[in-house]
Amino acid sequence: MLWLCILLPPLEPAALRNLTFWALQWSSQVSPRPPVDGDDCAALWLEIGASRQLFGAAAALRERIAASLTALGYNGRLGIAPTPQGAALLARACTSVSVSVNAHAHAHADIATTPGELRRQLHPLPLTLLALPREQLAALHSAGLRRIGELLALPVAAIAQRFGPDASGYLQRLCGTAPDPLRLIRLPPRFTNRCAFVGAITDTTALLFPLQRLLAGLQGYLRSLDRAVQRFTLQLDHQRRAPTRLQIALARPSRDAAQLLTLARERLAALVLEAPVHGLGLEAQELLQPLVLQLDCFSHSTQQAEQLQQAIDRLTARLGPEAVRTLRTAADHRPERAWTARAAQDTAPTAPNTTPTAATTAATTAIATATATATATAPPLRPCWLLPEPRAIEAPTELLAGPERIESGWWDGADIARDYYLARGAAGAQWWVYHDLRSGAWHLHGLWA
Amino acid sequence: MERAISLERTVSLERTALLAQLSTACRDVQAGGEARPAARPTAQPTGFAPLDAALPGGGWPVGAITELMPETQGIGELSLLLPALAQLSRAGRYIAWIAPPCLPYPPALIHHGLALEQLLLVQTRDARTALWATEQALRCPAIGAVLAWPEAIDDRQVRRLQLAAEAGGSCGLLYRPPAAAQQHSPAALRMLLRGDVAGLHIEIRKVRGGGRHALVVHPAAAA
Repeated sequence: MLWLCILLPPLEPAALRNLTFWALQWSSQVSPRPPVDGDDCAALWLEIGASRQLFGAAAALRERIAASLTALGYNGRLGIAPTPQGAALLARACTSVSVSVNAHAHAHADIATTPGELRRQLHPLPLTLLALPREQLAALHSAGLRRIGELLALPVAAIAQRFGPDASGYLQRLCGTAPDPLRLIRLPPRFTNRCAFVGAITDTTALLFPLQRLLAGLQGYLRSLDRAVQRFTLQLDHQRRAPTRLQIALARPSRDAAQLLTLARERLAALVLEAPVHGLGLEAQELLQPLVLQLDCFSHSTQQAEQLQQAIDRLTARLGPEAVRTLRTAADHRPERAWTARAAQDTAPTAPNTTPTAATTAATTAIATATATATATAPPLRPCWLLPEPRAIEAPTELLAGPERIESGWWDGADIARDYYLARGAAGAQWWVYHDLRSGAWHLHGLWA
Repeated sequence: MERAISLERTVSLERTALLAQLSTACRDVQAGGEARPAARPTAQPTGFAPLDAALPGGGWPVGAITELMPETQGIGELSLLLPALAQLSRAGRYIAWIAPPCLPYPPALIHHGLALEQLLLVQTRDARTALWATEQALRCPAIGAVLAWPEAIDDRQVRRLQLAAEAGGSCGLLYRPPAAAQQHSPAALRMLLRGDVAGLHIEIRKVRGGGRHALVVHPAAAA
């Protein structure tokens, strides 16, 4: 066992909870401790003995964790030792607050990987660093002891007799001669976390920093479970009114906090705040197995599909799912119903193909049968542009081709009876127009663009 | 029986394609330590021989912005692009349509050989988001062509899109009003389009590495 202890300035319980999730990406054994009396630091222990091989040596892992902590805007002190109490004591001994900068200068005085190394490191440190009640520290002081090494040199029985069983028990846990089981965090089945703001936030960009912290927690949670998220919800709390909920969906599950933040940023940029925000919540839905894409190192098409998905996700986050769509043909004679559109995120395109897929062929067949009404040989031509709504026009002066009669839809009430023509429009334009057989009116329906 | 044979052929074709893909990938890995897409061509053939001949790269500039300025709608300004779009879509690239003025009509697109599942239709609320979406689409390497209809755009914004097209290696195709021809633009290719009974008149106002040129083509229209 090798423990890494992070000592943090006083934190809200929700923030500590979030950091606990964040820590889970490096270790499956994480134990948080809220600030206690006499010691106003919060503490977080990570068992890193198991993950050390995975992430490299203890010093390198410590650097990575410290860098991630700094990126989230936290000032922590870190220590590594074979016992939880040892790691905490080395973290306390770390005088510099911004540890990552001075780590090399101290020659890793805050890292001990074996019990022997720990004892050597503890030896010169002052007794006041021990996590003992103030009166016991005073008793040790009046006994003439100044350094931890002097205390550890005494026989255990003598310490218990003179300073009480609590003190000797603590020293045994510190040195690893007695077990020190920590209460480890158990992963909840659903991820939900929030943070409250001291003041009200009126600008959505100010939400990005707290959101980055929450997403870092989500990333740790997802890595620990080996899951990825397909959909997550942001909740913006207001005073005396219902919260604003933003749902953000991904075409492909992800657990990359940076990617999730990009999507949320687009979504927030498009949001007009109706009231100041007093708190922010993050909830993850639809946890799925992540797709193994990182390992697929030489498939260019897979990489392209991934890039497309990210573009679709970003566009959808900002514009909404109904604004980013793919097109299909539909087997209906009525021109305005011969197509459908679906949200691009739902259609989830696969890796690009170099040959026409079965779907295209099927669609081509469908449209061929759908439009082959008058002539059985070739489907009638259709214009590239279809107007969103047919536009009433004067009777065209010059008809170039037609008519193509389309009568359909008697079964669903939206029936039509029209004669379609190719007509000459203004400035050399070619129009697709129809003569409504019931009303006698002319309409422009498409353009040969 | 016939069906079984054709099925067999399909399978063996797929296997050949897959093997070719794998051997290319292996070569790439050996050559550079990581897979890289093959060097992109600098132009995408338009499908119209006289136009390809008039363009220095031999087609629509890739990784650059092209401005098309039709006199009016419905003269073949979109059909002019369809052969290139069909080819790109068949090659597995995506085609993004950012806030088009009308619906790109699926039955017609299929008729012109476009792979419909490769199209992405993006609708936007206003000119600002349309510009943003155009830039996002241009930056995505999976998207081979981006069609956009910017309402009002200045040369600084075109330059921004030009950089995005360079980054993504796609054809940026902007439809602009004919009045824009009077304005300076950093686009690689600018052309005025006019239609009449003779066909589609193309007046090349500016092309990177070439001079002004005028020609007539006959896009696959109705008549």
